[in-house]
Amino acid sequence: MAAEPLIKVENLVKHFVVRLGAFGERGATVYAVDDVNFDIFAGETLSLVGESGCGKSTTGFTLLNLQKATSGKVIFQGENIVSLNEKRMRPYRRELQIVFQDPYSTLNPRMTIGEVVGEPILFHKLATKAELPEKVTRLLADVGLPARFASRYPHELSGGQRQRVAIARALACQPKFIVCDEAISALDVSVQAQIINLLLDLQEKYGLTYLFIAHDLAVVRHISDRVGVMYLGRLAELATREQLFSNPLHPYTRALLSAVPEADPELEKTRQRQILVGDVPSPLAPPAGCRFHTRCPIAMDKCRAVVPEWREVETGHHVACHAVEMETAG
Amino acid sequence: MTAPEIQKPLLDVRGLTIEIETRRGPAIIVDGINLTVGKGETVGVVGESGCGKSLTMLSLVRLLPNKIKVKGGTAEFAGRDLLKMSKSELRQVRGGKIGFVFQDPMTSLNPVMRIGDQLCEPLIYHRNMSKADAGKRAIELLRLVGIPGPEQRITAYPHELSGGMRQRVMIAMGLACDPELLIADEPTTALDVTIQAQIVDLVKDLRKKLNMSVVWITHDLALIAGLVDRVAVLYAGTVVEDAPVGELFARPTHPYTRGLLASIPKLSDERASRLSSIGGTPPEPGRRPKGCPFAPRCALAESICHERVPVLEPVAGHSGHRVACFVAQRQLKEAA
Amino acid sequence: MTITPVNLSSTVADDEPPVSLWRDAWHRLLRNKLAVAGLAVVILLAFVAVFGPWLTPYDFLTQDLEARNQAPSLAHLFGTDDLGRDVFSRVVYGTRTAFVVAIVVTTIAVAIGVTLGAMAGFFGGLFDRIVMWFTDMTMSVPNLLLVVVINASLKTPITAWMEARYQATLNPFYRETIWVDFLLVFGSMALISWPPYARLVRAQVLSIRGRPYVTAARALGLTNRLILMRYIVPNAIGPLIVSVSAGLGTAMVLESAFSFLGVGVNPPTPSWGNMISDGLRVWQHYPHLLAAPAAVLGLATVAFSFLGDGLNDALNPRGSK
Ligand SMILES: Nc1ncnc2c1ncn2[C@@H]1O[C@H](COP(=O)(O)OP(=O)(O)OP(=O)(O)O)[C@@H](O)[C@H]1O
Ligand SMILES: Nc1ncnc2c1ncn2[C@@H]1O[C@H](COP(=O)(O)OP(=O)(O)O)[C@@H](O)[C@H]1O
Ligand code: SF4
Ligand code: SF4
Ligand SMILES: [Mg+2]
Ligand SMILES: [Mg+2]
Repeated sequence: MAAEPLIKVENLVKHFVVRLGAFGERGATVYAVDDVNFDIFAGETLSLVGESGCGKSTTGFTLLNLQKATSGKVIFQGENIVSLNEKRMRPYRRELQIVFQDPYSTLNPRMTIGEVVGEPILFHKLATKAELPEKVTRLLADVGLPARFASRYPHELSGGQRQRVAIARALACQPKFIVCDEAISALDVSVQAQIINLLLDLQEKYGLTYLFIAHDLAVVRHISDRVGVMYLGRLAELATREQLFSNPLHPYTRALLSAVPEADPELEKTRQRQILVGDVPSPLAPPAGCRFHTRCPIAMDKCRAVVPEWREVETGHHVACHAVEMETAG
Repeated sequence: MTAPEIQKPLLDVRGLTIEIETRRGPAIIVDGINLTVGKGETVGVVGESGCGKSLTMLSLVRLLPNKIKVKGGTAEFAGRDLLKMSKSELRQVRGGKIGFVFQDPMTSLNPVMRIGDQLCEPLIYHRNMSKADAGKRAIELLRLVGIPGPEQRITAYPHELSGGMRQRVMIAMGLACDPELLIADEPTTALDVTIQAQIVDLVKDLRKKLNMSVVWITHDLALIAGLVDRVAVLYAGTVVEDAPVGELFARPTHPYTRGLLASIPKLSDERASRLSSIGGTPPEPGRRPKGCPFAPRCALAESICHERVPVLEPVAGHSGHRVACFVAQRQLKEAA
Repeated sequence: MTITPVNLSSTVADDEPPVSLWRDAWHRLLRNKLAVAGLAVVILLAFVAVFGPWLTPYDFLTQDLEARNQAPSLAHLFGTDDLGRDVFSRVVYGTRTAFVVAIVVTTIAVAIGVTLGAMAGFFGGLFDRIVMWFTDMTMSVPNLLLVVVINASLKTPITAWMEARYQATLNPFYRETIWVDFLLVFGSMALISWPPYARLVRAQVLSIRGRPYVTAARALGLTNRLILMRYIVPNAIGPLIVSVSAGLGTAMVLESAFSFLGVGVNPPTPSWGNMISDGLRVWQHYPHLLAAPAAVLGLATVAFSFLGDGLNDALNPRGSK
């Protein structure tokens, strides 16, 4: 892991203003991402986990400047990219790519696979028209698809095959960094493993860096170097995979880990689950203080009033929780 | 979990075959499924998307969509064939003796009706309850499934509830008439893990309290490990393996089951090691291969697999374990 | 390091040619019997509209006072009317009127609707809200009322102005009252017909703008123009085709309704609407005068609606799943 991060995310905030009521007469703010800080190092896989709607995708989108950040910085190659307009962003776009969850809407249904994969190559002038077919064939081979797929349309492919095409499209730009937003969540169990293997192979081959957004902790544990846990728009904990899974500090991380079922009936029989009571609060009106306090089994008075600080409690292990802070301090 | 007696199953599905009308002509989607559920037993039905899990269950209460028809087989529920019942008998069963929880709570709840009224409907219809009694029972049901403040919540519309709460309302509806059998079709797939854990605990708890049988449909093998007594593994519309849960995880026998289990990342895996995976994808309906439906993806396939269809046969020496695979059966015999 | 190739046993077969969504839709349309019947009728009517003058045995204005109100016969397929004009010829010419009105009105309405709707959807914000307010306003005024008001208030001044121009220039063009009819009919009908197109296109653009493939295109750094032309427009066009097909039928009914009420194309220009309205007065004695134009109008609208339904099914095959 290099000392200098590939991408530095500083105090990233993304709020959405939405209209409510039958006539859109009331405005309200969705606190989708609030004051998030982390670094991404070249060649690593950093995962973001958390319940749906906690702001994982929004973090990924804002980081790529696909949605305008409300405030904060994302430093890439010495430039704060979230402040750039579309035109000045264009040179960076090539290096920063994204793969989406839904294999059915990730490809333009009116374009052939060859056009889908070839378009970014021509647009960024990475090859001439004459070289294009060979390039496309190579990219398809990279993701395990035969060349004849170039003349196919997306609706003729299965979900796993479409996801491979989406990965080939991202690779076409020769990127350094790919956000995988739930890239395997919609796939069948047997196909998930194929795509995970593919992502791992490509990382090795091209030295890619991944921001892997997922909610399946077993998969995250398998492929990540570091893992960040989000809750209602804030990072709760960020640590290496070993630290997080063997020594989770944040009460939410602990509950999350205990809720993941293991494919082992013997283990499941004896396992102690920590069931959280209550539902995830609305991001329209997140609780004051620590956002987890409404469901936290060890919440204190302080938690209801004061936002816990994002601290590094040991090398590479960040957490935001008053209880942890008290423990490590005293 | 004690293995409940299975002398006389509550639900006994035999040779259920379902066909769909496609532009290439009729295609079989569910091909001779056999499935039994004992009294008080919880059975997990596992299979990938599109393998026919939902259609099998819908056919039991004759709620198949247009163009999809049952072509053969029987489904005895408490001694009566659900597939041949008269409409009025069937109405007594639907929502009465058999409760349903659907995959998607938002589309299965009526968006313009208060949840209390939706809960009361089956009670008034099936149980001939008065409106007031039904209302009381609805509150009780909401409390049972762990919805806080049920007295107030009963007047809420579905969109005013969170996903987890809606799913619990669905379960409450499935439970409304104290069904003997609860069929839950991926009731937690749309939910987060922490909420999923709540629902799983709830169903475990209720099952004990009410002594119901449960069929839990899912594609998540890990999820059912701690929940069910027995598992039926579906592939392309057939049951390929059927075993008590401990047995299945300890001795997976069908190549597909083994592949599925092996492709789940485990605690002990090294970081970023390659996962073992099954190549290819499940066949589309209408493109089922001749012979064993798994043959095109199967590493063990032999010439017989491409010609004949293996049937579900007991695994010698392991009671209640059945598998449909030529090679596995032969290997078992050789080992014995 | 190797990348495992996919085992493709179950999806795309080698021997099948690639099929684009358009081709696929066309094949699906051809398999739909009602839609094909609708299409056939539409093509036939269009042919009649274009080549009408060469098909009819009589001129639509020629009066044969000897042969008034005749029942259908070989000489007069649909009989004759109270002025001894050949009803078949008039229906044929009426087809022309119906098509001209339907096509012109729909073209204007689609042009207005698509432009406003696409811009509203793409730019959003204040512009969107103004356009939508305007759309809702137009839709909330009862159609017939609006048309009657427009006709009543504009017809006289325009006709007077034309007459004045004629007096001044002696140009016979200004004597053709048919232009006034058409202007008013086209104008007022287009005015009430564009809002559904605007809404549809706006909704399409809004939903497509948020699809992952558009976001992916933005992530690739493609320009707005490329995204609009290659990603948004081709995907928004399907539902528009469906609604235009249905819209053509609706426009024909609308034109007939207006003619019937006397605010549409005026006699002697043949239109199904004014033929129906004439026929209605005498239908007890000469039912063919009502039956012929009414049947053709009915046939046309049913054909367009079958075709529209068929297009809808063909273009949205995977409806729910
Ligand atoms: N209404 C329908 N019209 C056409 N085909 C259908 C319909 N419903 C289901 N099918 C097809 O029948 C097959 C089995 O579907 P089913 O819904 O039972 O799958 P499932 O195992 O429940 O999958 P999932 O995990 O996605 O819920 C699939 O190939 C599906 O595409
Ligand atoms: N375009 C948008 N407008 C308004 N709210 C949004 C928008 N996109 C996301 N949100 C809201 O922001 C929150 C975070 O969303 P998201 O990042 O998609 O969550 P996740 O990926 O973790 O499931 C959610 O409450 C979501 O509803
Ligand atoms: S800050 Fe308080 S409420 Fe938040 S997680 Fe820590 S202990 Fe729980
Ligand atoms: S029968 Fe043959 S093809 Fe089918 S699972 Fe067994 S070994 Fe594989
Ligand atoms: Mg997301
Ligand atoms: Mg299903």
